[in-house]
Amino acid sequence: MTSAFLDRQSTVAGPGFNRFLVPPAALAVHLSIGQAYAFSTFNLPLSRLIGISQSAPGDWTLKELGWVFSIAIAVLGSSAALFGRWVERVGPRQSMFVAAVCFGGGFLVSAVGIHLHALWLLYLGYGVLGGCGLGIGYISPVSTLIKWFPDRPGMATGMAIMGFGGGALIAAPLSVLLMKHFATAAANGVFETFVTMGVIYFMFMMVGVVTVRVPADDWKPAGWVAPAQPKKLITTANVSVDVAWKTPQFWLLWGVLCMNVTAGIGVLGQASPMIQEIFSGKVTAAAAAGFVGLISLFNMVGRFFWASTSDYIGRRNTYMVFFLLGILLYASVPTLGHLGSIPLFVAAFCVILSMYGGGFATIPAYLRDMFGTYQVGAIHGRLLTAWSVAGVLGPVLVNYIRQFQIDNGVPKAQAYSITMYIMCGLLFIGFLCNFAMRAVNAKYHHQVGGKPL
Amino acid sequence: MRGRLVFLWLLVGIPLAWGVLKTLENALKLFQ
Repeated sequence: MTSAFLDRQSTVAGPGFNRFLVPPAALAVHLSIGQAYAFSTFNLPLSRLIGISQSAPGDWTLKELGWVFSIAIAVLGSSAALFGRWVERVGPRQSMFVAAVCFGGGFLVSAVGIHLHALWLLYLGYGVLGGCGLGIGYISPVSTLIKWFPDRPGMATGMAIMGFGGGALIAAPLSVLLMKHFATAAANGVFETFVTMGVIYFMFMMVGVVTVRVPADDWKPAGWVAPAQPKKLITTANVSVDVAWKTPQFWLLWGVLCMNVTAGIGVLGQASPMIQEIFSGKVTAAAAAGFVGLISLFNMVGRFFWASTSDYIGRRNTYMVFFLLGILLYASVPTLGHLGSIPLFVAAFCVILSMYGGGFATIPAYLRDMFGTYQVGAIHGRLLTAWSVAGVLGPVLVNYIRQFQIDNGVPKAQAYSITMYIMCGLLFIGFLCNFAMRAVNAKYHHQVGGKPL
Repeated sequence: MRGRLVFLWLLVGIPLAWGVLKTLENALKLFQ
């Protein structure tokens, strides 16, 4: 009975179903898995499990704990790529359920690891199991939303992916609140917080599992007619996942996503020390935390804003804006630093981070435009490997170049200038990939019985 | 169906609004 409930066939919506019930279902999943971005909240308490108020001999180091998040993000990219086709086959309900079990279960396994003080259980629990929940959960609702909103695919997927950005805004204060609540003289409350969050996130994701529906094959929004004159970069054909990754368009889009994410993710990870070092003596640690919060907010809002805008100006043009405006803003950062203008500096990074989020949120609709709706979720899953690469490349570029500069006598306040110009170079590569985008050759189109699907 | 729609949007909207407010509270420190 349970398997029948999870079956794709049981999720086909009946007549009169309101399609606006699907975005909150997707949001329930994305708001939960977006917690990953706030994992660093646990780093300090986890490094003081024995010493409580400070690290004691035998406590885990921050370096060792840093691997938990890295493993989770690496597994996110690989599981999205590996399970994409399965997600398409079994449908959103079953895949969201598996994501909920993995993500909630990951917290519970990690809680056991905290209780036994076994770090490998954290790697396995949050890193591997939770990472699978992240990857499967991230791609689960994408193709369903695209099918429900053929008239506004950017807005629909933007709304869900906005949840991934918003998840951190909820998780960070929630984690602090729970740890404070459970803390005693003998323990800092991380174990109980992990158990509570595992249960809360599982239940919240189940709201999505129960609510999600797929449209019937012949369903169309009331009054909506597909454009009679299809646009050059919006296909009416379909390309299967196994063929899509052999097309130049897939790799151009891979480059577009990778460059856009690399430029943003490095800054996101270093935002707090960066603003304190560039405006040395003017920005306190508390103000820097405010800066991180503000750019995270723009990262979230940008996801909805830019993805929705792409429905009107086109996907290619949206990325053109990201790359050209991004180059201009990154190039202006060193000057704004020299001028000592904090408001302009903050404004520049708010726009940059909105485009970072926008890049994530617009890519599913771009894939749909190029490859059709047939296996767009699975293609999206494979494209997310660009995120895994960018997740390593971005922070490495920012951290290592900064350190190299400082080691060579460059003052800390100026150590970011070269990095910003390198970011401009990366965005220019992204611009070229996007500029080269053309419609997929008809020889790649999926055919059934000699006819296009 | 309408009640369910409102309930679901509130269910995801309230935690999100709470997170945004907490973030804005923190962000204000930047300009103090």
